[in-house]
Amino acid sequence: MKLKALRALSERPIRLPRLRPYVPQPDDPPIFWFDGERKDIVREVARRVTARHTADRRRMELVLNETALAEIRRLESQRDAEAAERLPFWRGLARSIARLDDAQKRDAVRDIVTRYAEDVAGNFDPRVYRLAKHAVPKLLTGVMAPSRLPEELATAVDGHTLIGELLQVEGDLHRLRHLEKVGTLVYVPTHSSNLDSVVIGRALEQVGLSPVIYGAGKNLFTNPMISFFMHNLGAYRVDRRVQARVYKEVLKVFSQVMIERGYHSLFFPGGTRSRSNLIESHLKLGLAGSALSAFAHNRVRGVDRPVWFVPTTINYELVLEGETLVEDWLKDEGKARYIIEDDEFSRLDRWIAFFRKIVGLKAACIIRFGDPIDCFGNPTDDEGRSLGPSGRSIDAGSYVERRGVPVEDAARDAAYTRELADVLVARFRQDTVLMATSLVAHVLFRRLVRETPGLDLFARLRVRGEVALPRTELAAEVGALRDRLVALQSEGVVRVSDTVRDAEPAALVDRALAVWNGYHQRVAARALDATITAEDPTLLLYYQNRLVPFANLLVTDEADRAAAQEIARIGGARPLLGTALAARSA
Amino acid sequence: MSTDRLRIGVVGGGAFGRGVAKAASRTGHEVTLWSRRAGAVDDARIRVSAELADLAAAELIFLAVPSHVAEQVATELGEHLDGGHLLAHVSRGLVGDALEPVSSVIRRLTPVRRVGALAGPLVADALALGTPSGAVVGSHFPEVADAVREAIAGPSLRLYATDDIVGVEVASALVGLLALAVGHAQARGVGPAALATFLTRGMAEASRLAERLGGDPKTLAGLAGYGDLLAVMAGDERPEQAVGRALAEGRPLLEATRDAGGYIEGVTIAERVVTFAAREGIEVPICDAIARVLAGRPAAEVLQSLMVRSAGGE
Repeated sequence: MKLKALRALSERPIRLPRLRPYVPQPDDPPIFWFDGERKDIVREVARRVTARHTADRRRMELVLNETALAEIRRLESQRDAEAAERLPFWRGLARSIARLDDAQKRDAVRDIVTRYAEDVAGNFDPRVYRLAKHAVPKLLTGVMAPSRLPEELATAVDGHTLIGELLQVEGDLHRLRHLEKVGTLVYVPTHSSNLDSVVIGRALEQVGLSPVIYGAGKNLFTNPMISFFMHNLGAYRVDRRVQARVYKEVLKVFSQVMIERGYHSLFFPGGTRSRSNLIESHLKLGLAGSALSAFAHNRVRGVDRPVWFVPTTINYELVLEGETLVEDWLKDEGKARYIIEDDEFSRLDRWIAFFRKIVGLKAACIIRFGDPIDCFGNPTDDEGRSLGPSGRSIDAGSYVERRGVPVEDAARDAAYTRELADVLVARFRQDTVLMATSLVAHVLFRRLVRETPGLDLFARLRVRGEVALPRTELAAEVGALRDRLVALQSEGVVRVSDTVRDAEPAALVDRALAVWNGYHQRVAARALDATITAEDPTLLLYYQNRLVPFANLLVTDEADRAAAQEIARIGGARPLLGTALAARSA
Repeated sequence: MSTDRLRIGVVGGGAFGRGVAKAASRTGHEVTLWSRRAGAVDDARIRVSAELADLAAAELIFLAVPSHVAEQVATELGEHLDGGHLLAHVSRGLVGDALEPVSSVIRRLTPVRRVGALAGPLVADALALGTPSGAVVGSHFPEVADAVREAIAGPSLRLYATDDIVGVEVASALVGLLALAVGHAQARGVGPAALATFLTRGMAEASRLAERLGGDPKTLAGLAGYGDLLAVMAGDERPEQAVGRALAEGRPLLEATRDAGGYIEGVTIAERVVTFAAREGIEVPICDAIARVLAGRPAAEVLQSLMVRSAGGE
């Protein structure tokens, strides 16, 4: 009984009681309206999804059978409290479908869909938002550098904070601040860590952009504390274990309705964290496609509310879960466990170690908001108008028109979404900010490849502590690599962090070694006297993977050519062929 | 089929462009043909214009220009179009050293996204005269295939659809290249078994290229690939075949292409395919052989070098 109550705490939305509903102020971001609209949104989502499946008896039977079967299969393998509670319902339904009359079938579909929609919909409580805004940075300061806490507690709200120093936010913020007032922004960031959603929420707040809604894996809701904040800060729940198609539809329609109503949103288009730390190149854009449908739906109803995608990169000097993620990638390349529940993210001691490690590192995390594009991959001007290839402004609405009239068309939208993915991949490459750890890891790993010709990747990863080079030589190579990257940056091909651009090469080496060693359980590279040894090829591989798409462009010594070519092939990296649209947008 | 009249634009007054214009006009649609030559077509129902701006009013546009001018035409055309236009091209070429599909050129240089490629055994004469034929439209957008069907399909033209546009474009271009070899081999009296082996292995190379460029190798087994090649073998007398024959007879390449009607896609692509394949690590011995013959190497020597290659798994 007690256990059940605890579970309910963690799985059900905990909401603070409120005597009077919050009345949003004119300057409040759209999400402050959510509490008042929530019921209406859930009803609308349920109505639309139900309507798709209740046109005739055959379709109703199909969706009921399919959903019951998928849920029974899931719950049987889950064998937890949820299974005990819900299995009898689904089994009962499966047995009775044939006996239900049409009205009962329709009710059953509506009930299932409504329950899913309720489960998905999050909540937003302005009080929790304000609490998080003020308390979280101080809490983190308390963990990372207790000595600074009194000072920060004494400063004004927007004063200089430790978190502000750690987190650097780049991009055309002025333009984004303008656009978020006249349309809907859909942020699509790269995904390396479970910290990403926290970090990006903080980044938006730091630069005065509105909070966003985003889907968070239900597995993140198991910790009551995190669950509380997620629930009340606009996150909606995505249960990846539920395979029923109608559940996925509910998710899509929920996100579509939210965007139609102007809620700024965030999707991780890679779907899951990049296990390899390679810049994502296969984007699924599943839910993000709903943004396009929202735009089309509004146009059909005569509502002209633009939607822009903001390609965003989140770049860490040190990745909290790096060690587990890369192991997972190597263990089963391509068939990664979808949900890792026992990684560093769920361990408090790792959090503390992580934050203690990065404290004092200026710009340990850089968020870069790229230039917004429309739903069809076109660049936009300062006012958000879509631009054609010649720079002529074009009406984004024309893309959802057929014979001059806006229409909804799921197949068309799916095709647009697929092409948008190519544009985002190109943008990610261009906007990824390369950090010192990536550079140092690349030089060491390339040397390892060069000195172990003929070995395959896995054999190479066993070459531990055998490849070493003098510190001065490493620094010189890092310097040459940096100069090459800075040159490529001026051509618009890559980006480097300010530290990488400005620091002495030797300082970059020191920074990387200092960041890795003492946080990761394994030693990436060891410094002994004047020699640096590549100790753990796996970690070096992980950090250098960010440079894979550029490996061939970074050779400054011909002796590295063959090694660079091998590195360029890691992860089956495909050149961006036939993605002209991507080239144009870039 | 809808009874609404579509407004159709055709870019290019060559044989294929004129054929499409005639077919669409015969189906009852309103057709504007862009051509630099006045009187390009002997059909009063077809409006001929030398202004690309006149195509802005069209709902569906056919781009029927050779691939080497695709970039230039797309740039100019792009000034007059927006996201509402549907566009299908009929080019049999791939552009530049990257073998960029024409659909990609269109998306790069115009605001149009809903792009398709029309390919297969369909030839200009069949379109113009309405003799029975078949073709395939590749597009990510089903509405493009639907519109092309509405525009030109009918009792004498069966149009299939696939979402593998790149596969269709690569198939179409590579069959053009193989058609050259067919003309050449037939003129030299190469036997059916040797020719069949040569072509089948050539199609295997095309599959590999299609895959690398982002297409599906299975598309090569459809109308755009084998369907088109079978039409060549059945004797549809296309210009590439004529060039191949002329070369086998010892005539110089320039003269052969001029006599066959000017720009022949298959001639220009051979060398680029070989360079691309070398860079990407794809084996293309058949394309390489054709390129060498086009470059003037003796055919007997080239064929000999092909025959002595070790044969592996199919």
